[in-house]
Amino acid sequence: MKIGLEVHVALPTKSKLFCSCKTYVEEPNTSICPICMGMPGSKPKLNKEALKIGLSVARALNCKINEKIGFVRKVYFYPDLPKSYQISQLYDPVGFDGSIDIGSKSIGIRRIQLEEDPARIYREDDYTLLDFNRSGTPLLEIVTEPDIGSEEELREFYAELRSILYYFGVEIDREMKADLNISLSKSRVEVKNVTGIKNLIDAARYEINRQSAMLERGEEPQVETRSYIPESMTTVHTREKETDEEYGYIFEPDLTFYSTNIKLVEPVYASAIAKAYAEKYNYSEKTIKELIAYDRTALELLKSSAESHRMQDIIASLELLKKYKIELDAAKFKKLLELVEGHVNIDYAKLSAIAEGKEVAKESGISEERIEEEIKRFIKENPGIVEEIKENPKSINRIVGRVSKSIGADPRLVLKLVEKVLSQ
Amino acid sequence: MDYKEFERLLEVCRIRLSKGEKEGMKKDIDEILEYFNKIEKDKVGKDVKPAYQPIDLPEQLREDEVIPFEDVDDILANTKTYRFYIVGPKI
Amino acid sequence: MSRIQEFMDADPGKDYYAKLVEELSELNTKLNAFNNINMSLESGYPVSFKDNICVKGVETTASSKVLKGYKPPFNATVVERLLSKGFGFLGKTNMDEFGFGSFGLNSEKPARNPFDKERVAGGSSSGAAIAAAIMENHVAIAESTGGSIAAPASFCGVVGFTPTYGVVSRYGLIDYGNSLDKIGIMGRSADDIRHVFGIINGKDRYDATCTGMPEGSESQRSSRKLVVIENLLKDIDAAISKSFERTIAKLENSGFEVERINLKELDSAIAVYYIIAMAEASTNLAKYTGFKYGNILDDFSKEYNEFFTEAREKFGNEAKRRIVLGTYIRSASVREKYYYKALQIRRRIGERLKEAAGKGHIIMPTMPMLPPKISEANKLSPLQTYMVDILTVPANLTGLPHISFPTDYSNGLPIGTQVIGAPYEEYKLLDFVGEWEKVFKYRFAYNLGSL
Repeated sequence: MKIGLEVHVALPTKSKLFCSCKTYVEEPNTSICPICMGMPGSKPKLNKEALKIGLSVARALNCKINEKIGFVRKVYFYPDLPKSYQISQLYDPVGFDGSIDIGSKSIGIRRIQLEEDPARIYREDDYTLLDFNRSGTPLLEIVTEPDIGSEEELREFYAELRSILYYFGVEIDREMKADLNISLSKSRVEVKNVTGIKNLIDAARYEINRQSAMLERGEEPQVETRSYIPESMTTVHTREKETDEEYGYIFEPDLTFYSTNIKLVEPVYASAIAKAYAEKYNYSEKTIKELIAYDRTALELLKSSAESHRMQDIIASLELLKKYKIELDAAKFKKLLELVEGHVNIDYAKLSAIAEGKEVAKESGISEERIEEEIKRFIKENPGIVEEIKENPKSINRIVGRVSKSIGADPRLVLKLVEKVLSQ
Repeated sequence: MDYKEFERLLEVCRIRLSKGEKEGMKKDIDEILEYFNKIEKDKVGKDVKPAYQPIDLPEQLREDEVIPFEDVDDILANTKTYRFYIVGPKI
Repeated sequence: MSRIQEFMDADPGKDYYAKLVEELSELNTKLNAFNNINMSLESGYPVSFKDNICVKGVETTASSKVLKGYKPPFNATVVERLLSKGFGFLGKTNMDEFGFGSFGLNSEKPARNPFDKERVAGGSSSGAAIAAAIMENHVAIAESTGGSIAAPASFCGVVGFTPTYGVVSRYGLIDYGNSLDKIGIMGRSADDIRHVFGIINGKDRYDATCTGMPEGSESQRSSRKLVVIENLLKDIDAAISKSFERTIAKLENSGFEVERINLKELDSAIAVYYIIAMAEASTNLAKYTGFKYGNILDDFSKEYNEFFTEAREKFGNEAKRRIVLGTYIRSASVREKYYYKALQIRRRIGERLKEAAGKGHIIMPTMPMLPPKISEANKLSPLQTYMVDILTVPANLTGLPHISFPTDYSNGLPIGTQVIGAPYEEYKLLDFVGEWEKVFKYRFAYNLGSL
């Protein structure tokens, strides 16, 4: 079984690939200009940041990178393509001959190239509607070798790619689409434009079953292009006409060649980090990976607390944040960690309180009234303590220490309440 | 180029011609291609880099900043629109 | 102070402009220099723009039916720069459709030579050349891909200036061949052109291929040495070669040294030029799809291939021919043979020419014949028409600056000579032409807008 992917990723830049229009704007045809509309006389100019991210991804995927990259015109006729050619790459792409390790094996990356997105097109009965906000969005096309050999390998590969791209700032749920190429014997079937990892796996599974069934009957699957229908979890032959017309590539004469010798963004390999922590602290790699693969806040919190707290407490804390969908900064996370270490039962209420910066009782069920009661009882039983504290403020710790211990409350909270009681 | 190839080429270009026009154009194109073929005699080593532009140009990149185009309405005034969308032909 | 600055300071008053546009409209019906004239012009030094240069809100068609009614939502950079420096927009000049032509005949209204209305004005910047030839106070902004400024300048008896590739921004220029197109200037004197060039040249944030001129070029003086490329002169008309030799003799007498050389590589220049130009043009013309701007079709319920095919029916014959040839050249089976090889030969020709221009300014006639009669020109086959560019293609293919200027008259028809420099030597060439103008007076058939 040979599975290959062509993944299209829209890059997280502020402006488009060849013009200064804002990217990812909702209201149709409001973020357009002569350049992304392909109007006569307009000229492209390459976005520095798109180049940087593109090269950074190429390096992260172990690609070879030439000294310079260049662009071509890829000509085809469709209403969503404003110039009737797409500025793309062919001979001098951002990267080529790379790979991604998925533990069991290495999946080859044939090439990575930068190109501009066409407009969004909506088919009506007798016409189409076009939104050119999308036109000119910077895309990175990542083409793999057909090295993926099973559904499981597909899942691992795509998860790893998603994680790496996530850490480059890509909106992986919305801006990552894949074309799946599957062949079980001789014919290669393409399933176009699948969004999301679940759909990708489901589409692959359906195709593998469909092709296997045909082969068992002695039929060779047709070479064709299909679409995935999430509602029925099936693939169907698409209406898109397969033309065998060429793209008639020429070098893009409005652009030049661009040096790749620039400062790049460092990749974050969440899997590798998870593996390292798992080994060092003897903990489940899978659990750590699940928490940090698509969550940079979780990764930061892990990094900042790994040396000073137990891994199981850190993981438990991170899982709480994930469960209740709450975010904490490093300082508040430390507070949470302490409670978790102290075996305090954390619920949504307590977590919200921490998020809001309120004090939370160390023992569950210990209210501030209860603590104050205990403080007052201690003072009653030890009348001289008030005078002692007036003379020697440090003596306050005697109350704090005794009350905290006797009812198992957080000393800092007790201190606060002692001061409150004394002032009354 | 034979006639069938020429007709196929016209299809690829989405250029439609009458029979008379086709014959006329084919004649002209054959003559021009014959003239272009003279460059076959030019000996050029593999190491000669193609001159994609006639002058060596410095690379110029654009900062990733948003500068909205101010006359979007003028763009849309040139075409058919329907509720914010631009109307295109059927596919 | 330049003559243009003098005119701006004098500020002639509303009546001047009213008279100018009226007389111009009248003469235009006979010569077809303008696709449209700004009848409400009231101030500024009158400047026109070739109709492939976008002027915001003004119909810009590149003399093509596919762009009928198109009103650009932006100004080309050259337009912005000139209109902000005291120039007044006079109108859009006629041209061969998208720049495809050397005679000015590939237009709904074929252009006519002001010296003889039965003869061609030259192309593709036909209207611009006529405008400069008929008005006393005018500069025409034009464009050259294979010689489209020099050719009409020679035929209409004006000065046609084409700068080094990349010196003037192409933003807002409707593309013919992106690696060949250059915006230039046509006028009646080197002095006028120098004034305008100073304003329009320079880096532009919208054009990634625009470099501007190197610092300090303005004060450069002409070389005292000239280079004649003999093998280019063998197939030209006797009238032209005789006139050229007289011009060379004059220059030698005034102290120029002349060296004669041969550059065999130039034999392929026309083929190489047209291969690259058509390949690029066939991609540039793909954007005219009949629904975003310009000529918009009626029936949108046709399936796209049919719709697009119908939109393309509005192209002229030369445009269709170049689309077909250009598409063929770009196809995978022949790309190495034509497109890629042509680009390699272009590099070689460029190196040879730069070497030659390093010895002195290359000098040659601009056109191989006198302006032909329109009826004769219409009989030529496409290939014969392409061959007319034999003298203008070398500099244009390799992006070298060149100026065509009148050096003689034969039976009342102007003959132009061109000087070609190494990259960024435009000011040297302007100095050369300025010196020539001190000893040779240009003749004109009309003088509209005289002060």
